[in-house]
Amino acid sequence: MSSILVVAEHRNQTLADVSYQVLSKGRQLADQAQMELLAAVAGVDIDAYAKELTRWADRVIIVNNDQLEEPLAEPYQKLIAHLIREIRPGIVLMGHSSFAMDLVPSLSVELGIPLVTDCVDIFWQNGDILVTRSIYNGKANASYSFAQSETILITGRVGEFPVEEGQRQGWIEEIEFAFEEECDYKKFEGYLEVEAAGVDITQAEVLVSVGRGIKEKKNLEIVEELARVLGGVVSCSRPVVDYGWLPSERQVGLSGKTVQPKLYLGLGISGAFQHVVGMKGARMTVAINKDAKAPIFSVANYGIVDDVLKVVPALVNKISELKGRTE
Amino acid sequence: MDIIACIKRVPDTSEADVVKIDPSQKDIEKDRLAFKINDWDEYVLEAAVQLKEKLGGTLTAVTIGPKEWDEVLRRALAMGADSAIRIDQDVSADDPHIVAIILDKVIRRLPYDLVLFGAQSEDFGSGHLGAMVAEILGIPHATLVINLEAEEKKIHVQRELEAGTLQSYTIDLPALLTIHTGINQPRYISMGGIRRAMQKELQVMSLSDLGLSLDALTPMVKLEEMRLPPKGKEAELITGAPEETAGQLAKILKDAGIF
Ligand SMILES: Cc1cc2nc3c(=O)[nH]c(=O)nc-3n(C[C@H](O)[C@H](O)[C@H](O)COP(=O)(O)OP(=O)(O)OC[C@H]3O[C@@H](n4cnc5c(N)ncnc54)[C@H](O)[C@@H]3O)c2cc1C
Ligand SMILES: Nc1ncnc2c1ncn2[C@@H]1O[C@H](COP(=O)(O)O)[C@@H](O)[C@H]1O
Repeated sequence: MSSILVVAEHRNQTLADVSYQVLSKGRQLADQAQMELLAAVAGVDIDAYAKELTRWADRVIIVNNDQLEEPLAEPYQKLIAHLIREIRPGIVLMGHSSFAMDLVPSLSVELGIPLVTDCVDIFWQNGDILVTRSIYNGKANASYSFAQSETILITGRVGEFPVEEGQRQGWIEEIEFAFEEECDYKKFEGYLEVEAAGVDITQAEVLVSVGRGIKEKKNLEIVEELARVLGGVVSCSRPVVDYGWLPSERQVGLSGKTVQPKLYLGLGISGAFQHVVGMKGARMTVAINKDAKAPIFSVANYGIVDDVLKVVPALVNKISELKGRTE
Repeated sequence: MDIIACIKRVPDTSEADVVKIDPSQKDIEKDRLAFKINDWDEYVLEAAVQLKEKLGGTLTAVTIGPKEWDEVLRRALAMGADSAIRIDQDVSADDPHIVAIILDKVIRRLPYDLVLFGAQSEDFGSGHLGAMVAEILGIPHATLVINLEAEEKKIHVQRELEAGTLQSYTIDLPALLTIHTGINQPRYISMGGIRRAMQKELQVMSLSDLGLSLDALTPMVKLEEMRLPPKGKEAELITGAPEETAGQLAKILKDAGIF
């Protein structure tokens, strides 16, 4: 196999964390198989990114083109298809971001090459690459191999691959790339940021966080009560926002907020990885869930396997009692 | 506006602590699990029904699966779909490339301005299918859509990025979207809806009706093995009746200086 190509993603003058993560994984895989590691970055004013990437990559390909400034699927599909045809890498690796989710499926169809997304592991076995995915709500893992193909496409799960400091000093190569035609059937109109109007959960020291397991909106009352006695704030998982029970500014996770409170109390939250990436920086995590196999228990320091609706009222009482005694 | 909604049925594993690997090591044991419509596909159906109510036209629900999957089609009909098609083939563990090829063949036979998929499935969750099918059909797409406004010839959508950022697009029809949770509040199904759904006929087709044969569809990825996830770090469990566990936890939190 020839080389591994990592396509880096950036927005708002920052290279995506997940790009560093898959770059580190790419470096490791390339070293194990004695392959060349390439990284590609495109847009305008990308020299600083390119320099960063040379710490991991043997060769960094830069493409200066203002149509590639924003991470948009259509122009990037054309660029990456072009790079794959020119360079013929054995593996193309990207982070499993919203950008990649919009892009890689069509790319794999266009080029007729295999794709596995959102991998939690990527490894060599007898000279072949294998990947592992997490399936069925994190309750099983599946490993996959690839049919013979000159190039395979893989995206790696956000937060799954630790960043190892890059020790290389790769070189930078600029490639000319121009678009033949404008894409007039799909127009990018810009970005919208969801702004926090009320509570800023990123500032709270104690978060009492609720998930689908609280079952009904009215059960928020007792949870608010718990937050109050703990001097904390109520946050939540995505379904609670989807159902309209709490505003989106309270959502923790990949598409919500990243929080690092002193205490994160997860109530009726299963611990899907898209949730956990937003709260794993908490200093202490406690989970209450009636399912003993809920993935949240492998991130929590303490766990109670029970019905939240039974434990929470009791907890409010006990905390009030203890507080009464000291005050 | 003519709309096609692709939907699927999944085992409900969110609260199931009984997940076991089947002896084949290629799947989980499913006999004790309950099944339901894929979470994302409920939002797909609601979005589709809302568009139909606003703009008229037809709504067709499509699924590829065995007989039991009729259940999700009945749901679609009860919500307001005009017709429903099931391709009688169990593809749940197959390479999404293959599923995409089959869906493309079905969709091509139908009238459509807009094709809707869920952003992801709960079981395998590759999140591939929509964008793959769009590429095969040769129409534009947007994934992870959480806002959608349609006109006769074009749509305005917002797709979700990380950390609460959205991207806005205007896309010419025909187009394909994958719908994210939270885009709407799926309606409850009325008894009248269920009765109407029972009277409508489901169209069942085989792969050969579509001019396809499974032998000719070669997978590009192969499932090697399914395992339970490796045991990571485990939480220290506090056990007992709610009074006791709550008491112990309160003490732990107090000792940790939380209050
Ligand atoms: C692109 C993308 C982005 C996403 N971004 C986010 C994000 O930012 N944040 C986020 O949270 N999710 C996000 N998700 C969704 C994520 O995949 C999960 O679907 C979600 O986190 C699940 O929320 P939950 O744990 O509340 O619900 P579930 O997974 O349904 O879990 C509910 C839990 O409650 C437990 N339970 C039920 N009843 C009780 C009871 N009486 N007592 C105790 N426990 C009970 C159950 O055992 C179960 O474990 C995203 C998904 C995608 C595809
Ligand atoms: N067997 C199927 N029949 C019809 N649509 C399907 C099927 N499997 C997946 N889909 C569609 O693809 C979406 C999920 O994509 P994926 O995560 O790639 O499986 C679902 O929300 C459905 O809209």
